[in-house]
Amino acid sequence: MIEKSYKKDEWQGALAKLAKESRVIAPVNGGTHSVFKTLEEGDVPDFKSSKTRLSPKSVVFPQSERMFEYSLDEESEENGILKEAKKDYAEKFVAGIRPCDARSFKLVQVNFDTPTYKDPWWINNYESTTFIGQACNKACSTCFCTSTGGSPFGEEGLDVVTVDMGDSFLVKSVTDKGEKLLNTIGGGADATDDMKTKVAELEKAAVASVKSEIKTDNLKELKETDLFEADFWKDTFDGCINCGGCTFSCPTCWCFDIQDEVQKKEGDRIRNWDSCMFPLFTKHGMGHNPRDQKFQRIRQRFMHKLKYYPDKYDKGIMCVGCGRCVEVCPANIDIRRVAELMNNYSK
Amino acid sequence: MEKEMQEWQPKIVAFLCNWCTYGAADLAGVNRLQYPPNFKVIRVPCSGRISPKLILAAFRNGADGVWISGCHPGDCHYIEGNMYARRRFTLFRSLFKHIGIDERRLHFSWISAAEGIKFAEVANDIVKTVKEVGPAKQLIKEKAQVA
Amino acid sequence: MVNYTDKIRETAKRLLNDGTVDTFIGYRKGSLPFVNNPAIIHNAEEADELVWDSNCALNLCNYLTNRTDKIGVLATGCNSRNIAMHLKENKIKREQLVIVGVPCTGMVDHRAVKGMVDGEILEVTEAGEEITVKGDDFEKTFKTADVLQTNCQTCAHRNPVIFDELVADEVPELDGVNQYADVEAVEAQSDEEKWQNFENIFESCIRCYACRNACPLCYCPTCFVDESKPQWVGKSTDPTDTMTFHFLRAFHMAGRCTDCGACERACPVDIPLRYLTKKLNKDAKDIYDYESGTNVEDKALLDTYKPTDLNDFIR
Repeated sequence: MIEKSYKKDEWQGALAKLAKESRVIAPVNGGTHSVFKTLEEGDVPDFKSSKTRLSPKSVVFPQSERMFEYSLDEESEENGILKEAKKDYAEKFVAGIRPCDARSFKLVQVNFDTPTYKDPWWINNYESTTFIGQACNKACSTCFCTSTGGSPFGEEGLDVVTVDMGDSFLVKSVTDKGEKLLNTIGGGADATDDMKTKVAELEKAAVASVKSEIKTDNLKELKETDLFEADFWKDTFDGCINCGGCTFSCPTCWCFDIQDEVQKKEGDRIRNWDSCMFPLFTKHGMGHNPRDQKFQRIRQRFMHKLKYYPDKYDKGIMCVGCGRCVEVCPANIDIRRVAELMNNYSK
Repeated sequence: MEKEMQEWQPKIVAFLCNWCTYGAADLAGVNRLQYPPNFKVIRVPCSGRISPKLILAAFRNGADGVWISGCHPGDCHYIEGNMYARRRFTLFRSLFKHIGIDERRLHFSWISAAEGIKFAEVANDIVKTVKEVGPAKQLIKEKAQVA
Repeated sequence: MVNYTDKIRETAKRLLNDGTVDTFIGYRKGSLPFVNNPAIIHNAEEADELVWDSNCALNLCNYLTNRTDKIGVLATGCNSRNIAMHLKENKIKREQLVIVGVPCTGMVDHRAVKGMVDGEILEVTEAGEEITVKGDDFEKTFKTADVLQTNCQTCAHRNPVIFDELVADEVPELDGVNQYADVEAVEAQSDEEKWQNFENIFESCIRCYACRNACPLCYCPTCFVDESKPQWVGKSTDPTDTMTFHFLRAFHMAGRCTDCGACERACPVDIPLRYLTKKLNKDAKDIYDYESGTNVEDKALLDTYKPTDLNDFIR
């Protein structure tokens, strides 16, 4: 395990150097908010803003991704053959990812990497990425990671952890991949005991700064069908406009739709993020839609996140407490309120 | 002739209303009036059927220009279809210009079934104009730019 | 505007209690600064949760479409114009509605305010004509009129155009405001610049359709984006598809948009969506002397015609 300290500009310089040879993806502030993007010449990573507007799940699970290609040219010998689209899975690095987002990949992995089905695009992308995390010294008012099994200084899903100590970063490897990276980067100075103490204090303060919380202790006990039939679903969330903003900003939402696009004689099979908030999500080929009413879709989303997932996988709720859905929702549908209603429900 | 075949030829989609302009096109043909072959003609029942979706679909598929033509106002086979269309076209053209696409790619005309000569003249002029603008570069849907 | 809250609660209680309405649509206080929760309440006890402030920016008319009950709904100037459009387009019947007019002095642009402070805003309070934001280590007060949403800064109809009762006295309309200064600036640009604007503005779109869903006038049972036979627009984040979607959606607003700003408010990635609809609204005014939704009797802009309509661009 390597534990070093780097002056801030030395660390930025190391990342910039890395960005010249490989893809480095980090939060970049575009004016009103930050998003994860591949660092290009001149881009300055934003390690100060608390959280990016959209989660970094698009690094491993792009919003629109070509899966297959095919030709419909009858003269061609490749006519009608689905070929896997060529991808570049060269090692890439994500820097400045927060512990909640890093942990989200572990929660989502159970869906894409199962004993029976393996999603090669997700898995290849995930395994070729090294995650350099940044611990959160201070939580936002909408963060509640500690209620979901995470922590502002959590290491789950990270290969390297960095802690902002003011004028320098403490950089620690968590996995072999991380160690390999730090060996490549080199430089820095050995972390002193003083620094380690300071980091421990910062961690304590960070955990204490998480003011928002949800209780989920009762969710497992409740009967699924009882919770499903609860009255509060019918009208508490009437303000929802079914826009999909929550699902698209959420690091643990994973639904997608596959579509073929044909331009003249060439076709692509593309997958795009889909949202259970969209009415079209469950529309059947014959026209029937089992969730054509708004409250059914809202119920589905929160039952999936807070009941079906924990029941099925026993890894806690399908939420890392990042608070993005709370901030993005134009109608102020707050998962913390929903969790409270669900957890406190009794028949 | 060879030079013409080698230089770039614009592809123009022509939405012609069945009752008037399509008849004019027929008349132009019957009278052996010369007009360029750069048009892909789509016959619609009325200019009022033209929706912005259709025009954008033409550009998305690589059209360099779009020509929409119908009956003269007052003479519409469906009485007033072209009247509604006129307002739609006005606003569409304005928004199209607002996003920075050369307005010389979009053409509108009222040509009655008796105006074969006018049809050929307008057709000639449109091809000339679109040639000046050059190949389309905007709003063309090619292979999806995705990961 | 914060002093409207009591009157609103009282009105809602009265209408629900005496059975004039089955449902009342207003806002509850949000769990975050700068956002309120649209509330569709059915009994008078819930009326105590209703509030009004300068963050009631999501358009409540969105929730009216195709309802069959008797509804009391709060409506500012722009929202009331949306109701007029709804009535024109047969999405609701006048007899079903009790329109509770709210003379509006504008909604706060939360993005602008957040950009003016350093740190997370934890609390927002309004008093009189000022708005105060507080964070862990800062407190700043602004004149509300200085931090309004861009559409509210040039509002042409602060007072409701159609209503059954008002919760307050009418407010003076804005004077000497050039509603379309931004559109004029774009009109003066070259084609290349305009195209670059268009590309840049919609580059960050994530196709969540929040703009469409927040818009009260986007109520097609099947949106053109979801049509598959034929498919007009691809569903991926391909830039041509995204630009096609926004262009067509804006065009569907031609002569209907009331510039309420709900689309911009709802967008999770802060896109200035009114870039296209503003142009169409200006055209409607300049070419046809038309403003959407100012009354219920006139036909919608594209639902009518004059023999003297502009014709000079048609050969």
